[in-house]
Amino acid sequence: MSRYRKLLYRPIEMIPVLIGISFISFVLLQLTPGDPARLMLGPRASAEAIAAIHARYGLDQPIVVQYFYYLFNLVRGDLGQSLAFRAPVGAIILTKLGPTLYLLAYGLVLSVLMTLVLAITAAKQQGRMIDQCIRLICVIGVGVPSYFIGLLLVLVFSLKLGWFPVSGYGRSFVVNLHHLFLPALTIGIAITPILTRNLRATLIQQMGSDFAVAGLSKGLSSATVFRTHVLWNSLLPTVSLFGVVASFLIGGTVIIENVFNIPGLGLLLVHGVLTRDYFIVQGTTLVLSLGIVLTNLLIDIAIVALDPRIKM
Amino acid sequence: MDRRDFLRTSIAASLTAPALLEFMASAAAAAGTKVLRIGYGSEVQTLDPIKTVFAPDIISQGMLHERLLKANADASKVGPGLAETWEISDEGLTYTFKLRDGLKFSDGSPLTAEDVAFSYSRMRFQKDSAYAAPFQPLAKIEAVDAKTVRMTLDRKFTPFLTLCEIWNTGIVSKAAVESMGDEAFATSPTVTSGPMKFVEWKIGDRVVMARNEHYWREGLPKLDGIEFIYVPDDNTRISMIQADELDVTMAVPFARLQELKDAGLDARAEPSSATYDMLINHEAEPFNNLQFRQAVSNGIDRQAICDAITFGNGVPANSIMSPTLDYFAKDLPLIARDVEKAKGLLAQSGVATPAFELIVNAGVTDEQKAAAIIQSQLAEVGITVTIAEIDPGQVWSQLIEGQYQANLNWWYNETRDPDNALRWCVWGAGDNKSYFTRYNNDQVNKMIDDAAGETDPAKRGALYAEIQKIVVDEVAQVAIWHPAWSNVYTTKVSGLSFNAGSQFSSLDEADLAEG
Repeated sequence: MSRYRKLLYRPIEMIPVLIGISFISFVLLQLTPGDPARLMLGPRASAEAIAAIHARYGLDQPIVVQYFYYLFNLVRGDLGQSLAFRAPVGAIILTKLGPTLYLLAYGLVLSVLMTLVLAITAAKQQGRMIDQCIRLICVIGVGVPSYFIGLLLVLVFSLKLGWFPVSGYGRSFVVNLHHLFLPALTIGIAITPILTRNLRATLIQQMGSDFAVAGLSKGLSSATVFRTHVLWNSLLPTVSLFGVVASFLIGGTVIIENVFNIPGLGLLLVHGVLTRDYFIVQGTTLVLSLGIVLTNLLIDIAIVALDPRIKM
Repeated sequence: MDRRDFLRTSIAASLTAPALLEFMASAAAAAGTKVLRIGYGSEVQTLDPIKTVFAPDIISQGMLHERLLKANADASKVGPGLAETWEISDEGLTYTFKLRDGLKFSDGSPLTAEDVAFSYSRMRFQKDSAYAAPFQPLAKIEAVDAKTVRMTLDRKFTPFLTLCEIWNTGIVSKAAVESMGDEAFATSPTVTSGPMKFVEWKIGDRVVMARNEHYWREGLPKLDGIEFIYVPDDNTRISMIQADELDVTMAVPFARLQELKDAGLDARAEPSSATYDMLINHEAEPFNNLQFRQAVSNGIDRQAICDAITFGNGVPANSIMSPTLDYFAKDLPLIARDVEKAKGLLAQSGVATPAFELIVNAGVTDEQKAAAIIQSQLAEVGITVTIAEIDPGQVWSQLIEGQYQANLNWWYNETRDPDNALRWCVWGAGDNKSYFTRYNNDQVNKMIDDAAGETDPAKRGALYAEIQKIVVDEVAQVAIWHPAWSNVYTTKVSGLSFNAGSQFSSLDEADLAEG
């Protein structure tokens, strides 16, 4: 396990990153005009009611004081109180974590499957019709925004064909395989093209490499060479790229959850921004950043595991 | 661990982790089969009736908390609710309400005059009550005996009874609120008096409610439950009702009503008390100039704007008051567009640089559209309009601080009685400075007060007609059109309608066909 030793320090390195993120999100929100209490109670609310909210949530304190209160509470594991919902942010985020993680995991599994099938087919059929088609699909897939893809999928598969629900989150793991298929597919369509292009290129390059030719000349079948040598060696760059794409994707759930009305972190974040619910936005941002940082850590571990030569 | 083991383990982990989370997050469902699913574009923020003036809160609270008086389906009348009878003393200052026999809360505990007095007192006097303003004349609330509540006003105030129907007078259980505390009650009001009882509020998702077995109306409600669901995206909300994932979809863009009607859904334009208007700042140039205001008012084509926005589901505004309100001045002529007259008024005004900034809420398509039409119509008069799209959160701050020239905005009135509406938008003596326009005409202020204290409908009518004429002549705000509510129901829903005051007041009689 000595190859993994340096990874032990990574969680410690994450702390300043997260503090930085918390500070930036805090300052950005405070600089955004708009009084959360007014947005919460609307134009008809009395000045006294607004003042009561300010006092209750400490919004009448100087910004610096508010930030240190926030940090102090954060250290104790308290993410603060939601202004709009008058409930603890930590508890709210916990109830939203399930749908978002499910959606992300499902989307990633679909992406991996689609990428493997498309990239391997394209690489093996290099230059032929099917390869050209896959490359064309990838170009289109990269270009079309996921909001539009989501709407299109709903229109065809939910409204016209009635195969899948339009919205929401089911009550069990199995139900959600069906329920969240379209949103997961939307994620898949968004990131598969990027991964496929990368994997296809690497596969083609590796298929012509010395060790592949050596394998073939020793009498191994081309299928065996591909499976045991080419494929594994080609995965590395794609896995690294996967880390970048995954971070991008965690941010993208905001859009996908909105289109499919999935009650997850993305929808919560949008609502938080619109209502200036400071602690919801900070809490959600922090959790999403934590997700991105952790994903990158996992990717690094995966790379070490896949390539025996690498030491961290 | 070799790399295959690693992959195998990670795949297994990625498959089981969501299952565990799922298990942790699993929650109770509403009991029963006839559960009405209503989709709305904004999220509920509190279930305590005194803490809000926000539309989704108001709508959901109508399901949970019953009031002393009850509006009929179209809100044209208020009649007996929890109070069976009431008496008004001769001098008009004391209102004595008699409650029905055997009233109960959803937990089976008795609902008494004590609870009514408690609910009204916290609404009227508690510091963080959001909307005590219309109840200023209410000075004292007492429970005389278990079934009798006496309310004393400090002046004659004819609109009082209509106010005893609005959301923040919902009756809550004194015992429940006191034992839970305000904050807990606001997120889980486990004891209710309305047709529904509270089951669960999944924050950021939905409020789940079930039939209140102890509801005062025999055999009602017909529904087994309601889910009030937050769906921010218009397109998603429409797709959901098309796919039978909702029974009611609220606030559908007007442009899509006809298409949904053609698709066999019950797509309705329901009468609304809303007025869409251009708020103008009377304390800032150029709107502090009467002729300039009149030039703007004569320079826009209300009919054209109304048609472009509502697709025939609205009426151009001749008065600042909606036609759904009592004493609406239907004889007031609609100001037709007259470019020459507007140019003349502009010349008379002496405004050197006829230009202003019009603020619209960012992301609201209807407002962008209306602003663009106003811009081009006023350009022909010689007035330059700059459109500024600003985040709604900031718009409110600018309105309140008076840091604006003009803003497209709308408001509605919760009662049929116009008192509240006029106090909201043209009564300069109020906290909100005539809906932040800073319009202040002492004569109008006095007439509004006089009309509120007047009991003779004919005299009230004359006063309200005069008020409407003055504020249109003086262009207190540029009222442009009165939209309808655009709601879509599936054909399974019966007996349900959304009234002019933004409430489902016939909810207890509504039903949902099976299948």
